[in-house]
Amino acid sequence: MKSFLPTAPAVGCFISTQRAISRRQFLRGTGIALSLPLLDSMRPAFAKEVTSGPAAKPRRMFAICNNLGLLTDQFFPTGTGRDYTLSPYLEELKAHRNDFSVFSGVSHPNVDGGHPADVCFLTAAPHPGSSSFRNTISLDQHIAEQIGVLTRFPSLTLAVNTRARSLSWTGIGVAIPPEDKAAEVFKQLFFQGSPAQVAAQMRKLDTGRSILDTVSGQAKELQRSVPAHDRDRLEQYFTSVRDLERRLQASRGWEEKPKPVVKAPMPVDPNDPAEYMEKVKIMYDLARLAFETDSTRAITLMLEGVSSPVLDIPGEKITDGYHNLSHHGKSEAKRAQLQIIDRWHMKLLGNLIADLKAMPEGDATLLDRTMVLYGSNFGDANAHTCFNLPTILAGGGFKHGQHLAFDKQRNYPLPNLYVSMLQRMGIETDQFASSTGTMRGLEMV
Amino acid sequence: MRDSIFHRSTNLLLLLSATAFHHSPLAAATVPARAFFEQHCTDCHDAETKRGGLDLTALSFQPENAGNFASWVKVFDRVSAGEMPPKQKARPTAADLEKFLSTMQPVLLEAEQKRTAAQGRAKQRRLNGYEYENALRDLLSAPWLQVKGQFPDDGEASRFNKLGDALDVSHVHMARYISAADYAMREVLSVQWSQPPTSTKRYYARDQRTLTTKTLQTDLSKPPGDRSTFLVLGTKAQPPGAKLKSLTVGDADPVLREEEAVGWIASNYVTGFRYRWDGFRAPVAGRYRIRFSGSTVWVEPGKNSKTAEQKTDEKREPITVGRTQEPITVYTRNALMNRRVGGFDLTPEPAVHDLGETWLLANETLVPDPSRFFRSRPPGWKNPLMTPEGGPGVAFRWMEVEGPLYDQTTTAGYKLLFGDLPLTQVEGSAPGVLINLVDSKTSRPKGGEPAEPLSEVSVDVVSQDPGKDADRLMRTFLARAYRRPVAENDVQRFLQLVAQRRAAGLSFAESMFAGYTAVLASPGFIFLDEKPGKLDDPALATRLALFLWNSTPDKTLRTHAERGELHQPAVLRAETERLLADAKSHRFQEAFLDYWLDLRKMEASTPSTTLYNDYYLDDALAEAALAETQLYFHEMIQRDLPARCVVDSDFTFLNERLALHYGIPGVQGIAMRRVALPPDSPRGGLMTQASVLKVTANGTTTSPVLRGKWILERILGFEIPPPPPVAAVEPDIRGAVTIRQQLEKHRDNESCAACHRKMDPPGFALESFDVMGAWRDRYRGVADNKPAVKGIGKNGHAFEFHYGLPVDSAGELPDGRPFKDIRDFKRLVRADEVSLARNLARQLTVYATGAPVRFGDRAEIENILQRASVSHYGLRTLIHELIQSPLFLNK
Repeated sequence: MKSFLPTAPAVGCFISTQRAISRRQFLRGTGIALSLPLLDSMRPAFAKEVTSGPAAKPRRMFAICNNLGLLTDQFFPTGTGRDYTLSPYLEELKAHRNDFSVFSGVSHPNVDGGHPADVCFLTAAPHPGSSSFRNTISLDQHIAEQIGVLTRFPSLTLAVNTRARSLSWTGIGVAIPPEDKAAEVFKQLFFQGSPAQVAAQMRKLDTGRSILDTVSGQAKELQRSVPAHDRDRLEQYFTSVRDLERRLQASRGWEEKPKPVVKAPMPVDPNDPAEYMEKVKIMYDLARLAFETDSTRAITLMLEGVSSPVLDIPGEKITDGYHNLSHHGKSEAKRAQLQIIDRWHMKLLGNLIADLKAMPEGDATLLDRTMVLYGSNFGDANAHTCFNLPTILAGGGFKHGQHLAFDKQRNYPLPNLYVSMLQRMGIETDQFASSTGTMRGLEMV
Repeated sequence: MRDSIFHRSTNLLLLLSATAFHHSPLAAATVPARAFFEQHCTDCHDAETKRGGLDLTALSFQPENAGNFASWVKVFDRVSAGEMPPKQKARPTAADLEKFLSTMQPVLLEAEQKRTAAQGRAKQRRLNGYEYENALRDLLSAPWLQVKGQFPDDGEASRFNKLGDALDVSHVHMARYISAADYAMREVLSVQWSQPPTSTKRYYARDQRTLTTKTLQTDLSKPPGDRSTFLVLGTKAQPPGAKLKSLTVGDADPVLREEEAVGWIASNYVTGFRYRWDGFRAPVAGRYRIRFSGSTVWVEPGKNSKTAEQKTDEKREPITVGRTQEPITVYTRNALMNRRVGGFDLTPEPAVHDLGETWLLANETLVPDPSRFFRSRPPGWKNPLMTPEGGPGVAFRWMEVEGPLYDQTTTAGYKLLFGDLPLTQVEGSAPGVLINLVDSKTSRPKGGEPAEPLSEVSVDVVSQDPGKDADRLMRTFLARAYRRPVAENDVQRFLQLVAQRRAAGLSFAESMFAGYTAVLASPGFIFLDEKPGKLDDPALATRLALFLWNSTPDKTLRTHAERGELHQPAVLRAETERLLADAKSHRFQEAFLDYWLDLRKMEASTPSTTLYNDYYLDDALAEAALAETQLYFHEMIQRDLPARCVVDSDFTFLNERLALHYGIPGVQGIAMRRVALPPDSPRGGLMTQASVLKVTANGTTTSPVLRGKWILERILGFEIPPPPPVAAVEPDIRGAVTIRQQLEKHRDNESCAACHRKMDPPGFALESFDVMGAWRDRYRGVADNKPAVKGIGKNGHAFEFHYGLPVDSAGELPDGRPFKDIRDFKRLVRADEVSLARNLARQLTVYATGAPVRFGDRAEIENILQRASVSHYGLRTLIHELIQSPLFLNK
């Protein structure tokens, strides 16, 4: 905790230093798999690792946060369970009715504060608005820590119209800066690094392994003199060293392997933030491509509307800034424009689901193995409230086609859905952030 | 063994004599006092009835097995406390009981002693996150270093983060030992590389981009809104109703410039931290002296309905001399983190306020935050401090920074790593260590990048004779990093690594970093080295430093250990005094309170916006509450205050905000100070401090059960077994029923009552305090049929609640003595000094020795108490006696 005891000079003890991660570092970190800084994002292995190979079914997650939310009266359906009636917005997803579940009456406990809460969408860390807020690990990074070594990229952190607001947070509460240029990510995914870059990365991994060799040498010697009762502590140390060695080895393997070749052309990023919807579409395509090539199993995408300008949507007339529209103050004129935007969100999501469904993978489709989470930090952006969050989960191997309705007054914890998703990923855990269990009513296929 | 109000039942002579009936025989022939068990216990505790899940007829007697031993200790304790056999059953005669206890005890003791001799009390453990961070700070002379957050939370056992059983090591720990050490050493290189000259520079408010862009209002016919700033000259608006050509006269007119200020009326909306001094970013981690110049102002309400509903007399000046004194909290902002570094009171008279010296991290900026002001949350906010006569505002003129301040410790970290070898920049693609530097020319890119980006430089250390230098440097480093004499094969081990990495093409600095990183991730550094039996001096020095500094031993302590004189009682006592007197002992106090009293969980709950919106976002209150407890505990140690101060005292530590919360008049300003309490005050002692009352509530409701259990376990020192799986009482804020009435039903059940009789009384007494620790006579609720209490919260939103049923804080102790309220309750428990002291001694023992207080330790705890009784169990005395006791001196 913070210190109030008289010290001179006072050392603020309550907050960890956040080493600002520069773009270069970021690219080094995520671009080249699992360099040492990225080991930061590893946490205790509660999980039994999903082994790679033909027998293992890859499980994936794509989490999208639209940080201005959706008009609730247009989004939430009526009726519950399987016989619910599609809402105006969900009509846009009609073709996929059995491929997704819609949730109401859910939110993150103690996550308040309005706009700042978008960074908690995947972390559920309490009180993003308080002056000593500190974020915690996000769902995708938790996944990356457990199974990140199975793919070239432990995770991808993407955004539209921001290079700052991130959904991905490491175990030490540091944001992974999102990439908002699809072309850059495309290069990282599919272009070979220069031999010098690869060599430097290999040297780094080898240094890590040499360090581990050295410390385990000492541990081995110590083991002789440690009393029997304490030996298990040292054993645990050994196991940890071996675990990490294995991970470094896997990373080294990725460095040696050539990157996948794809037919798709390199995406062209629009320069104008007004082309928000086009950017969303490009990011969705990129995510699909990354999954298709099994380049990663966890992707996050922040759709930043707060600082977006008046949107330029083909064939539509929008006259007010997106953020302003979200504060519609119940003005019908503003709500009408907002509905156009919201419906585009739903349309693009529908296209994403359709594309994933069209892509076969073994005896199933890409959608069957890919959980697509779509939601927001806002229940109601007009009122700046963070409860009753509009939430959709599509694909990924759950029994969908239902409206899981919870108490609108006393919300059901959304982190429970994240526990279900982790378990679906094959990660053995029964907790995430403020969860109280798994998502009630949501069953795996 | 324990005789207190919560277990006053060992009065054996009053017990009724027993009559024997048929009972099941014990299976295990080796059980001592068989006859007693068969006569008094196995009627219920047999295979058939298995009351409380215990079947004594099947329980073997294998005290060498820890689990089995614990079961028998539990049996012994229940009988010895008179709780078993239960009241309604036939009781053993006093003689039988005496015989039972005197048969059982030595057998158990002997078994435990055998185990202790082979293993020691404590299990081997690694440094916890706090200790590792402090050890790195002290080793590298980098007190500003922050790495604790990089590690997964440490496991807890016996409530503390100090026990081997709970301090696991995973591959994540290994990865982070490596990355944390690498990070820390690179930070040390950044300091060495930068070394900007010390300067004193003024940063005028008018020159700050964040204070003057976009929301700046020069037209004061409208009042300032939230998150907007306005220009002040002296204590008046400037210029009323017109636009200035330039925001400042600049150097041209120093006298006028001194009067130029920027004003505002809101607190910081945290994500933006709009009111920050972006013109200054700490060029390097180090010590700085900070001053602010400014005053408070008084701001007219204006016509804007958002700031006040009342209309304004337009002839009045929009800005006038301040009418309030405003507490200002100063935070740093660095990327996405904010640290509190100090505070001062801004006065109506323009004045300079010196924050004193403070550590800043590289690239941190500073933010002075008027903590009473609101932080707007859309939509439809109102300023709760605005009245028809106007409202308070602040006007800042400049911030002055003196620094970085250097002394011999500034570059000591580099000296340890590389001696006098020069640091140089690496050109091109040659290998080197990348360090981060603050580049004052960069600015925040658009799109809300959290902080100005750092630049990077690749550096290396120049060595003419790498082999020889590596040898010399590694030996020095190991001698300082390891806490006992270094074996030659360890030196060689790490040197080999360095040589091997050099051969692989790494630069000298990179190779040394690899070696040092390995040292800091090796068992020799991260594990404690304690052998069963009496600790040798190096182990004792480590234990002492980890206890009182939460870090590793310093040079003096090591020297005592090397000379083999630390275990001498007089030396040990003098060293204890020295460590306690050092500023580093605050680390112990904070870490101990973080766990003992859960202070690390201060932010784990939010005040309900329905019922307690008046506490929402009130960081100044939460900060003062935490400070009160830390300062109070500090005072207990400094003045060797008696153990009864844990529950009661005639003083506490307050500032204006906390005094207002407690209803204590006459305390002004942001500074915390010792305040004598009015005679009838319910405050004083830890139980009634806002911090404790907050961590024992959930933000919406209080539960006498949860609070009671917490108080019993933390303050009064009794463990309560976990409850059977029954439905918990569901909080009800509709106002028709109190928690107490709901609980009555629960307590009617005899199997529940056994524990609730002990657990609930402290909780009942504390019902007089709400979720943030304010006094209450009535509960708050949401009953619609009553007139509402209305207000505007710090988020600018209107709120209302209703007062519900009155609080009843009366109860009775388990021994039947009644109390009518918290004052009464405190009087009763305060009298039982030795119990309070016993609890303190036990909590300290777990923390200091990394082992729970075991069966055989109880006698030693009593010895400690015996020796401390003269001082009425003063806290400092207890610490000394613990350190001199076999509990501390042996593994």
